[in-house]
Amino acid sequence: MYIFVQALIGIFLFSAQTTWLNLFSFGGVTPDLALIWVVYCGVRCSHAGGIGAGIFIGLIQDSLSGGLFGVNTLSKGLIGYFFSTLKDKFFVEGAIPIGIFLIVSSVFDGLVYYLAMGTILKGDVASSFLYQSLPVFSLYNALMGPVMFLALDKIEKRLNSNKPSSFRRAIR
Amino acid sequence: MPNKGIKGKNNIILVSAILLFSLALMTLNVKQEKGLSFLDSLAGVILSPFQTFFTQSIQSVADGIDHYFLLVDVARENDVLKLKVQHLINEKNTLIESLSRQQRLTKLTDFQENWKKKAVVASVIGLDSTQWSKVIFVNKGTQDGMQTHLAVVTDAGVVGQVIHAGPTTSKVLLIVDGRSAVDALFQGSRISGVVVGTGGDACQLKFVPNTAEIKVGDPVLSSGLGGIFPKGLVIGNVSKVSRKKQGLFQDITMVPSSDLSRLEEVLILLP
Repeated sequence: MYIFVQALIGIFLFSAQTTWLNLFSFGGVTPDLALIWVVYCGVRCSHAGGIGAGIFIGLIQDSLSGGLFGVNTLSKGLIGYFFSTLKDKFFVEGAIPIGIFLIVSSVFDGLVYYLAMGTILKGDVASSFLYQSLPVFSLYNALMGPVMFLALDKIEKRLNSNKPSSFRRAIR
Repeated sequence: MPNKGIKGKNNIILVSAILLFSLALMTLNVKQEKGLSFLDSLAGVILSPFQTFFTQSIQSVADGIDHYFLLVDVARENDVLKLKVQHLINEKNTLIESLSRQQRLTKLTDFQENWKKKAVVASVIGLDSTQWSKVIFVNKGTQDGMQTHLAVVTDAGVVGQVIHAGPTTSKVLLIVDGRSAVDALFQGSRISGVVVGTGGDACQLKFVPNTAEIKVGDPVLSSGLGGIFPKGLVIGNVSKVSRKKQGLFQDITMVPSSDLSRLEEVLILLP
């Protein structure tokens, strides 16, 4: 049941990301639901769960993107790792800490892409990327993050109200 | 204390493993060009029905909202006939939508008839899952004759090229993506250059000599070199020209002739 619900969440998030989320773009920038989901898993799941979720979500995102395969696996894997490590050292409740976490992870995600494009693919990146797209992207994610955290918490709560499976106990 | 040391070691191993795994994927992608295409295909097959459903729903809802707001006053004046009006609006929306789709397809078909080679009409079902790549997904795959490096166009001009073909869906790299490069020439002067994406809404024209007379609005066509885009397809129009005092080449910005942010149907030119 737990895996089925997570798969449904994944399908919904990636379908939304690649279709109607573009309607809410601000200056051509939309929030990255996969990134928010990785930060959520990093903060709420176990150490191994956070890293695993980061790598897995990054892999799916790479498959659904035309960019260099592996860039999202790298950035999301590291974000999952950092947040699953740091969550014990910081108080992660409320909109402000979540927003800050998301700003940091968005900047990191954007910089990994920027460096990969510049070094491995030697492609052109618009000059406005660093001072325009990336700050808007970070702020948009920081605004969307608490709402998505709330929704995912509700789903998690509903799942936990059922009898916990041995699988869930293992990853929580 | 020793426990802390072990934990630190584990962390280093974990980070190194993530780095190595990602770098291996990137190297595979760059060296083999195809990358892990089975993963791309699998993700496409799983997600494409949902993408198609979402895209069609959005189009219907957006269309419904647009036309409902246009008829709000009429509905107020005709409270008694509200239900009937609503029914007619829905019917009208459906007809308008099918008519506009028909018009778009007619344009593409006219283009297809003029085109000597075979071409396939495909619907856009999704966009890139990240912010930074300019890629679209279309509902035609290898089952329909798709393969990589096919030119994708609309009646207005060049859109991009197929970079991955799955069984039922394909990925199209738009000309505005930072990795896209199309050999081009100016319609009037026949001076050649290379149209390179910037990752934004516009492209840059590179390697155009400083001495060339280029004006804003000049049409840019594909030159046929490179083997993907046939010669003579419209790519866009020059929107900005700036000449450097020093240097060999001009800085030229070009706006694509196709509206790449509102693509619904495209034509894929088969070899």
